[in-house]
Amino acid sequence: MIRIYLIVFLFFALLGSQALAKTTVEWWQFWTDPSVKPTIQAIVDDFEKAYPDIEVKLTDLTWANGHEKIVIAFASGAGPDVLELGSDWIAQFAVAGHLRDLSDNLSADSNQYQGYSMATYDGRLYAKPWILGTRVLFANRDLLNQAGFEPDYLPVTLDHFKAATLRVSKLNGVYGWGSNTAEKHRLYKKYLPFFWTKGAQVFSDDGRYCVLSSDLAIQALQLYKDLHDSCGYVASQRGIEDAFLEGKIGFILSGDWLLKRIELEKREINFVTTLFPGLKFPGRSFMGGEFLAVNAASKNSEAAIKLIDFVTSAQAQVRFCKANRSANPSSKQAQQDEYFQSNPHLQTFVKQLSLSNHPPVDPDWVNIETIIEEAVEEALFGSGRPAEALRQARQKITDLKHR
Amino acid sequence: MRQSRASSLVLSLPWIVTFVLFWLFPLLYSLVMGFTDYRLLAPEFDWVGWSNYRELFADDDFLAALKNTFVFVLGTIPVTTVIALVLALLVSGGFKGRALFRAGYFLPSVTAMVVIALIFTNLYQRGGYVALLVQLAGLTPPEHGFLFDRATALYSIMAMDVWMSVGYYMLIFLAGLKAIPNELYEAAVLTGAGWWRSFRSITLPLLKPVALFIIMINSIKSFQVFVEVFVMTKGKFDTATAVYFIYEQGLQTEFRFGYASAAAYVLFVVIALFSIVQFILLRRRQALW
Repeated sequence: MIRIYLIVFLFFALLGSQALAKTTVEWWQFWTDPSVKPTIQAIVDDFEKAYPDIEVKLTDLTWANGHEKIVIAFASGAGPDVLELGSDWIAQFAVAGHLRDLSDNLSADSNQYQGYSMATYDGRLYAKPWILGTRVLFANRDLLNQAGFEPDYLPVTLDHFKAATLRVSKLNGVYGWGSNTAEKHRLYKKYLPFFWTKGAQVFSDDGRYCVLSSDLAIQALQLYKDLHDSCGYVASQRGIEDAFLEGKIGFILSGDWLLKRIELEKREINFVTTLFPGLKFPGRSFMGGEFLAVNAASKNSEAAIKLIDFVTSAQAQVRFCKANRSANPSSKQAQQDEYFQSNPHLQTFVKQLSLSNHPPVDPDWVNIETIIEEAVEEALFGSGRPAEALRQARQKITDLKHR
Repeated sequence: MRQSRASSLVLSLPWIVTFVLFWLFPLLYSLVMGFTDYRLLAPEFDWVGWSNYRELFADDDFLAALKNTFVFVLGTIPVTTVIALVLALLVSGGFKGRALFRAGYFLPSVTAMVVIALIFTNLYQRGGYVALLVQLAGLTPPEHGFLFDRATALYSIMAMDVWMSVGYYMLIFLAGLKAIPNELYEAAVLTGAGWWRSFRSITLPLLKPVALFIIMINSIKSFQVFVEVFVMTKGKFDTATAVYFIYEQGLQTEFRFGYASAAAYVLFVVIALFSIVQFILLRRRQALW
C-alpha cells in the first residue's frame, strides 16, 4: 500500500516539477485586427515549439488606451515581461527606469535592422525594432492626366509639388491636397516631412536649445498652410483617404495601411506612390515604428529576449508583413524578400524609410509633440500666423525642458 | 437588539467596504495628491503645498477648459430643461400613440454615449446631413464640418447633448405632472382659468421641486462632460472641458497625477458652489411662487 502511495506521490511530484520548469512570458501587444492576430498567434505557437520550456501569454492592447494601461502597470510595479511600444514612448519609459537595458543583448545585430536609433537613449539600447512605418506621397494618376500633366509626371521638388496641387485643384470638384484637421497624434506627422525637408530641426545639434521657430521651420509651416488654404481638402485622416479613393483629391501623404485598404476593399483607383518631394529630390518623410522591449521588473528576461529575437527575425517579420500588408519590416534581410521586391508600392515605402527622419528620442517627446501639433493647429485654424505660433511653441518647449 | 445591530452591520459590510475602498479612500488620497508633485512614472514625490493650485489658475489651458465647461453647462441646462418640460406636456395628453412618442424621446437616453457621439460625428461632417439641413435653411455650414471649426465645434457637441438628454428629463417631468392632483385643474376650470393661467399657477409651481432636481443633476452631469469631447474632438477646436483637461494631465501627456488631482478638486468645489447657489436661488423663488 505504501508503495502505491509512493508511486502516486512521485507521479504528481513529477507533473508538478514539469509545470514549474516551464517559464511563462507575458507579452502585451497591439495587433487585434482579425487579419493579423492569427499570424501573431501562429508565430507565438512556433516559438513555443522551438522553446518547449517557455510558454507565452498574449494580452491585447488597443491604441485608444494601451499607453495608459502600460503606464499604470509600470506605476503599480506590475506589467508584462515583453511590451510592444510605439517609438515615441521608449525614452519616456527608459528614463523612468521601467525598461531593461538591452545594449549587451542586442547591439550585435544592430547592423541588420533599421530603426535602432529610435530605441537608443543616452547611448543605451532599450528595445528592438519590429515593424516600422513611414509616409509616402499617393497621387491620383487620372487627376494628374486630366490636369494636363505628362502621363508619367510626378513632382520631385516642393515647388513642383505646390504647383501641381494648385493645378489639380483647378479641376471641377477636386482638391489638390489632403490636409489633416487638428487630429491628435496625426497633424504633426504631416507637418514634419515639410519641416525636415526644408532642413529645420526641433533641437540644436548639441540638443541644448529648442530651435523650432527657425526661418526654415517657419517657411515649412507657411508652405504647409499655403497648401491647406489654397487647395486643401480638410478632414480627418480617414476622411482624406475616403475622398482620395473617391477621386476627389490629387495628392495625399499616407502610410502603408492605405495600400491594405485599397487591396481589401478592391478599390479601382489609378494611383501611384512616390517619394516625398524635396528641395532636391527626394525629401525626408516621417518615420516611427513598433518596438519590443523588456520590462525592467521582469523575472523572465532571458526568455523574454528569446521571444523578442524570434518575433523580430526576418522570417517572422515577412510572415507578419504579408498578413498585415505592412511595407516596412525593420529587418534588412526581410526587406530583400521577394514580397517587397516585386511590388512597386512596397518598394516606394522601403526606399522612403531610408529617407526618413524620426522625432528626437526625448523623454518629453509626447508633450513636445502636443506643443508642435498645437502650433500647427494655431497656424491653420487659429491666428493664421506660422511664425508667431512656432515662437510660442518654442517658448513652451523651452519652459518644459527647464521644468 | 444587539444581535440585530450586529447582523445589520454584517449585511452592510460589503457596501461599506466598497464605499471605503473605491470611493472614500480615492477621494481623500487624491486630495492629498493635489498637494504633491506626484507623477505616475516617477513614484517618488514631494509635498508642494498650494503650488499646483497656483499653477492651475495661471494655466491658460485649464482656464480655457473651465470656460468651455461653463459655456456647456449654462448653454445646455436651460435648453434641456425647457424642451424636456415642453415634451412632457405634449406627451402627457391623451392622444393615440403617445407611448410611441414617449419611448422615442427616451430612446437616446438608454443608448451608449459613444455610439451617439460616433453617429453625430458623421452627421456633423462636411457634406453630412446637418450641413445639408443648414444649406436648405439658406445658411452656410462650416467649410470643413461642424466639429472642425472653432466657431461651431463646442455648440455642436452641446446640441447633441441636449438631444440625448431631453428624453430622460422629460420622463421625470412626466412623473411630476402625473403627481399633480387633477382636482386643482378642475377647480381652475370652474373659476374660469384658461390653459396658460392653470399652467402658470398650478403646473409650474407644483413642478418646482422636480425642476430643481433636474437642474441639479443635469448641472452635475454637465460639469463632468467628457465622453462626447473625447470621442468627437479630442479636445480640439476649443472643446476641451475640465474633465478632459484632468484626463489629459493625469493619463495622457505628463501623467501629472498631483496636478490632475488639484484640477479635479477645483472642479469639485465649482460643482458644489454651483449646486448650493442653484439650491438657494430656486428654493427662494419657490417660496415667492
